[in-house]
Amino acid sequence: MGLEYVKISPGFEKYMPRDYVDLVKFGQFGKEIDVMQLGQFKELVEEHPMCAGCYMAYFIRVFYAALPKPEDTIVLGTAGCARLALSQAAVPFIYGNYGDTNAVASGLKRALSIRFPDKDKDVVVIAGDGGLMDIGFGMTMHSWFRREKFTTIMVDNEVYGNTGGQESGMSPKGIQLKMAPKGKQFDKINAVELAQVAGCVYVARISPTNPKRIAKVIRRAILAARKFGPTFIHAYTSCNIEYSIPTREVLADARAREKKDFKFYEWMTDEVKEYLEEIERKEKEKAKQEVKS
Amino acid sequence: MYFVAEVNEKECAKYNCKQCVLFCPEPNCLNYKQSDHTAWVWADRCKGCEICVYVCSDLLKRHCIEMVMVKTGD
Repeated sequence: MGLEYVKISPGFEKYMPRDYVDLVKFGQFGKEIDVMQLGQFKELVEEHPMCAGCYMAYFIRVFYAALPKPEDTIVLGTAGCARLALSQAAVPFIYGNYGDTNAVASGLKRALSIRFPDKDKDVVVIAGDGGLMDIGFGMTMHSWFRREKFTTIMVDNEVYGNTGGQESGMSPKGIQLKMAPKGKQFDKINAVELAQVAGCVYVARISPTNPKRIAKVIRRAILAARKFGPTFIHAYTSCNIEYSIPTREVLADARAREKKDFKFYEWMTDEVKEYLEEIERKEKEKAKQEVKS
Repeated sequence: MYFVAEVNEKECAKYNCKQCVLFCPEPNCLNYKQSDHTAWVWADRCKGCEICVYVCSDLLKRHCIEMVMVKTGD
């Protein structure tokens, strides 16, 4: 890990794949990239096999553009749709067994803090609602109880999309799915409140309708996790296949859900607030000085 | 044969908005050319989801992107 592993050894440029050379020359390694510059640099994530119009893929695209230090980050995922795109990115990716992402991340983060005591190494878990709130529920909760210092992002598509449309704990009440023909009988789990109670220091719920806001939330969660403890983001990333949303309407659906049950919500402890405000104030000052010079 | 997005670059250059680029789910599929102030599509990466058309036509009423049929090898 670190910038050194990205660089191409002198003389080998002509043998490397075009995408890799582009990534080193025009990518975001070692640079401060603003998410609004998307489409003007080579992104970390490559072509992936996720469905057309998948908003989980969109969230992951913005996630990689928002990473504060991609060269010092490790991403963990588990079975589910998200891993299809996560494994195509130029950031180390670890694929856990179903549900054990937060246990693996705990060990990894502890090992990294022993091996690199003077550096910030970020560990980020991105898994679906099944991986974190159903099958991995115990490990997710216990990593929060132990106050492990890493970020957990739940990309919530409200269904087991990979395996044919079974209901998950996060599916809304009453919803009829291919493998839940009677309609779901129980309420959606309130993951955000669970995280708050379990000891997360920064919690957010977001619907991906505003790239700048997504990037801000992800950045804040990662920065807070470096110093204080576990952080959690609950993102709505619709499954347009299982919920039969026409691909053209996917963003409209995200906007509609944002008005209903996925209103933007952000909560953090006082010390985290102080810390983040300090960092953001410094960044603004730096940006102002750059504009002047 | 399949659908991909195509940007009307002459129309697009009038607005300089980049909104379609920011909402495309595919990495480096819709890109932005700073010299011409226009978005352009890397057709090999486009899966034809029409989210950019929704953003450009339905949300912003600018009608600069349309879906076109391409043949493999075009």
